[in-house]
Amino acid sequence: MPKTSQLNLLSKRNLRSNNLFDYINIVFLCVFGLLILYPFYNSILVSFTPESTYVKTPFMLYPKAFTLGSYYLVFRFKVIYTGYAVTLFVTVVGVLYNMLLTVLMAYCFNQSFPLKRFLFFIVLFTMFFSGGLIPYYLLIKDLGLIDTLFSMILPTGISITYMTVMRKYFAAIPLELEESAKLDGASDVTILFRIILPIASPMIVTFMLYYGVERWNEWWNGMLFIKSPFKQPLQLVLRSIIQSTANEMSSSVAQANLIPFTDGVKMASVVVTMVPIMAVYPFLQKYFVQGLAIGAVKG
Amino acid sequence: MSRQAIAHIGIKSRLREFGSSVVRRRHIYFMLLPSIAFFVIFRYIPIYGIQLAFKKYAVNLGITGSPFVGFANFKMLFVDTDFWVAVRNTLIIAFLQIIAFFPFTVMLALLINELQQRRLKRFLQTLFTFPHFLSWVIVAGIVLNIMGQTGAINNLLAVLGLNRVQFLTDQSIFRQFLVGTLIWKEAGWSCILYLAAITAIDPALYEAAIIDGANRWHRMVNVTWPGIQMIVVVTLILRVGYIMDAGFEQIFNIYNPTVYPVADIIDTYIYRISFQRTANFGVSTAVGLFKGLTNCVLLVFTDFICKRVSGTGIA
Repeated sequence: MPKTSQLNLLSKRNLRSNNLFDYINIVFLCVFGLLILYPFYNSILVSFTPESTYVKTPFMLYPKAFTLGSYYLVFRFKVIYTGYAVTLFVTVVGVLYNMLLTVLMAYCFNQSFPLKRFLFFIVLFTMFFSGGLIPYYLLIKDLGLIDTLFSMILPTGISITYMTVMRKYFAAIPLELEESAKLDGASDVTILFRIILPIASPMIVTFMLYYGVERWNEWWNGMLFIKSPFKQPLQLVLRSIIQSTANEMSSSVAQANLIPFTDGVKMASVVVTMVPIMAVYPFLQKYFVQGLAIGAVKG
Repeated sequence: MSRQAIAHIGIKSRLREFGSSVVRRRHIYFMLLPSIAFFVIFRYIPIYGIQLAFKKYAVNLGITGSPFVGFANFKMLFVDTDFWVAVRNTLIIAFLQIIAFFPFTVMLALLINELQQRRLKRFLQTLFTFPHFLSWVIVAGIVLNIMGQTGAINNLLAVLGLNRVQFLTDQSIFRQFLVGTLIWKEAGWSCILYLAAITAIDPALYEAAIIDGANRWHRMVNVTWPGIQMIVVVTLILRVGYIMDAGFEQIFNIYNPTVYPVADIIDTYIYRISFQRTANFGVSTAVGLFKGLTNCVLLVFTDFICKRVSGTGIA
């Protein structure tokens, strides 16, 4: 017992004697935190500010005037609604597709079967070498996927990194569970869906979130393959709003007889795109961090 | 019986054994079929399409039917100064990331770990990791606004009596600006890896250090840092393996023609030459092959080194 009390004493004294380091550390990290926070705050502020106020005081710490004008314009863009619908579809269907392929693969590569090493090599090789943009583009074209929503779903199937982490997680589940199920005559499919997945559900949620965020942020395949404006995903719609000039923007809302406040409209559309992730993230942060942590410790 | 005949029987019985175990494990193959089909279709068919790098692409003839032109595409490519500019920019930007972004993330992890206030620690970590989950499209939108000529940062500089800085168009600082935005978006996320490694350090080491009279700084330098050294080295080696990637999504969304000479990287170059009006798919594929091969050699090499250093490779 004396030993532990001595230890506590030591560490307490130690804590107090290092105030300077603590203060500098806290100040530094809080400044970095502010640097991260302010751009978000600024964007939200700009989106609610009328142009006249913005021109006079563009560096704002608090709102000096308030308007919903920018949002009014953003919600006049039809592509915002179709973009939301497309992205929701791509996210839901895409994540199911991702999870099905990834879970099946992670489970199978924990089993032993003929040709396993060869098949695993085939998969791993794609991490080292890929065909590049043009052959990829021509493949999607030959498959007839140009200008279909499936061009944004099918080509991104399995993240090998996620699959490897998942596989390690499955491998840590006691073998006895599987073996007793096999004695009862359960097939591999039953074992995976009835035994492994329920045990691994926190990990499943984590990877659904990872895939989900990637799908929500999808714009690249959309830019390559989608031609019709109303099939564009939300991020691509946002991209064209951000890259558009004041003139382009006025002409797209000309019928409203309004001269748009370009920066305000841009920031309002950033906020509209960002809100779902902002709303979900703080509550699910535990799951978001967990996947990487498991990968790091086991990997 | 001759030796050959015995060997023949051996092969036959092994084949039969192989066949019966395939049949026995048929469920596994059914379950693997969709995943393997995915890799074959979406990863291997494009690799087959690389032959286009040695062909002159004609839309009506397709990849296999287009005429063979040898190394003509590469010859055209290697005399294009824009290509060499892109290669140089890729290496410079990746190098800047390695010397600035990388040490910053390690330092950030060490400092976050030293925070004693649990609630503040959790709040800051949540804040630091958040930008990672936004797309570069959103981040570019925010950055282009706040760092622009009339954006908040420049107005703050003006209020303070300083000169405005053309972050978005000044060639001399654009690359540093890119690394800065990368730190803003990704540093908090990248350091989670090190924070996880720190939690795996044996607490007995800290106790021993305290008994020896080590203060917090000493402990950070002599216990925490050696504890994560290995994973830091591995991450660094892997980053070098991907040196041909300087961040397409980031640069493509933030850059503009004014800064092409310093910010056009291989991936943005490929995109631009592929989808301009006078596109030559053969040359574009050749750039892709050039990048792919360089990448592959680097990755095999770094994977090998990683396995020697730590026992785990890229996957």
